Amino acid sequence: MKRVLLSVTGTVVGLVALLNFKTHGHPIAAGTLPSAGLPNASSTSPAQAGTSTSAPPRAGTSSRSSTPAASAARTIAGSAVETRYGVVQVQVSVRGTKITNVQFLQLTAFDQRSAEINSAAAPILLQETLSAQSAHIDTVSGASYTSDGYAQSLQSALDQVGIK
Amino acid sequence: MTPPSARARAPQPPLLRISPEVALGAIGVGALAVIALWWKDTIFISGWGDWLTNAGRITGLLAGYAVIVLLALMARVPALERGVGTDRLVRWHAAGGRYTVCLAVAHTLLIIWGYAVTAHSGLVHETGSLLTTYPDVMMGTVAVGLLVLVGIVSARAARRRLSYETWHFVHLYTYLAIALAFSHQFSTGADFINRAQARWLWSLMYIAVAALLVWYRLLAPLRSALRHRLHVVEVRQENADTVSVYVSGLRIDELRAEPGQFFRWRFLTRDLWWAANPYSLSAAPRPDLLRVTVKITGSHSAALRHLAPGTKVLAEGPYGSFTAARRTRRKVLLIAGGVGITPLRALFETLPGRPGDITLLYRVNRPEDLVLATELDAIAAQRRARVHYLVGPPKFDGSDHLSPRRLQRLVPGLAQHDVYVCGPEPMMNAARTSLRTSGVPRRNIHDESFTF
Repeated sequence: MKRVLLSVTGTVVGLVALLNFKTHGHPIAAGTLPSAGLPNASSTSPAQAGTSTSAPPRAGTSSRSSTPAASAARTIAGSAVETRYGVVQVQVSVRGTKITNVQFLQLTAFDQRSAEINSAAAPILLQETLSAQSAHIDTVSGASYTSDGYAQSLQSALDQVGIK
Repeated sequence: MTPPSARARAPQPPLLRISPEVALGAIGVGALAVIALWWKDTIFISGWGDWLTNAGRITGLLAGYAVIVLLALMARVPALERGVGTDRLVRWHAAGGRYTVCLAVAHTLLIIWGYAVTAHSGLVHETGSLLTTYPDVMMGTVAVGLLVLVGIVSARAARRRLSYETWHFVHLYTYLAIALAFSHQFSTGADFINRAQARWLWSLMYIAVAALLVWYRLLAPLRSALRHRLHVVEVRQENADTVSVYVSGLRIDELRAEPGQFFRWRFLTRDLWWAANPYSLSAAPRPDLLRVTVKITGSHSAALRHLAPGTKVLAEGPYGSFTAARRTRRKVLLIAGGVGITPLRALFETLPGRPGDITLLYRVNRPEDLVLATELDAIAAQRRARVHYLVGPPKFDGSDHLSPRRLQRLVPGLAQHDVYVCGPEPMMNAARTSLRTSGVPRRNIHDESFTF
């Protein structure tokens, strides 16, 4: 009976200690936040040569304009989306209706594995965005939560400039 | 026929023995590795639901690890049997089994609760969604139900109400449970789903233990049966309710049986073939002869009296750690209770020692319970060892033969002895208490319980 009590309390105390350790950790962000842009000026459609912003403004400082000028380059931050495994927030640069640059403002993970998945999925998501020119992109297999969060954040940014 | 005795053999490589400390250490390291897997995959726990889910993950991982350890303990691996001892392995298995059922149940409840909290849904709704939408969770749920069933059946109270055969049959369901629970670990386990390496190691652990089971519980006994072709050569009545069975065969020395060990014997007659009973060797094994001495307690042992010479025998073993390998001191005291004399008779004959080093105390309730006394006297005279017969019903007023005072008077320098004890449980408890009181360190008391 004593041994039963001992093993039960031992297990519970051990569990609580282990879990408490992790509760006091911090979400981890990807080292350098990845970005991707269309090649400058020498793009295949010279009429809409993009000027991708090399030094993007911080999050939330999107230059809102009620009358979108067709050729003005704009940079817009999407909303931060919390998924089960972390937080995703992107920022896009558009010229007219063309997405010329997209980058992460936030890409955090609650655990190491998710961080690894994120860093593998991020460049694919960015590349898909540039080729799809919308938020309707394929889910990266093995990173469905991150892909969903990414698409949501991206769409919220594109909504601001009227790109569906 | 003269009783078998030890004979010089050609030197053979030393036998591998895994000590209890090493075995427990290895189990502990494995558990830490499992926790490390979770630790590495988890950096941050956010919120109460996540907290519960992670508690469920840890208990689940540990349960998955523990079931395989429980099987490994029962795989009859010779190095474990010799080093840890069958009786201790069985005790670990029983205690670990209860613990594992608790872990599996805790895992189930914590995951349901944690997912429900995270999803802001009810427990019933979450249970339904877990069962129907998560891959293989249904099978895992059946598995946990089976484990609980086996746990209830094995609980001591229930076991007394059930026959051994029923209990044993129900126990086989654990294999089914382990098989059913396996796939959900990979298809939903956060620590495996994206980690091929962890999946490989985990599978390897399961495969290795399965291989041990198949080899040591199935193939090795078969191979041994074909190689040694054991058969009864003589049955001798030792007293009214004790018989000795002499078994011969080919290449018996290759079995590497040691005095103090036992085999699981299966006598192939129409009535006895289905039961494998553990009986200790009651004499040092000879290259052509083994002997067991059995007290008749039921219909099975009673039938041994009528075994005809030539009856084929399957013997699984040798098992048990109750051997000279445990000895650490020059002087040795052997304490036998009733039919517990059998392994001690073999040790009394073979433990190395100078005259006066070895003492045997043989405790029985009635004079007619003494068996093998002629042999014991002969060994004592030949080796100039001492044997004391302690006859009389047990007393509980401090004047029993095994009371500290009487023991100390019988055995001068008692605290400097290694002590081997074998007998019925109450007698062993009395002996242990007296020995501890008399200053024998716990690590120098070696016992074997034959009620496992």
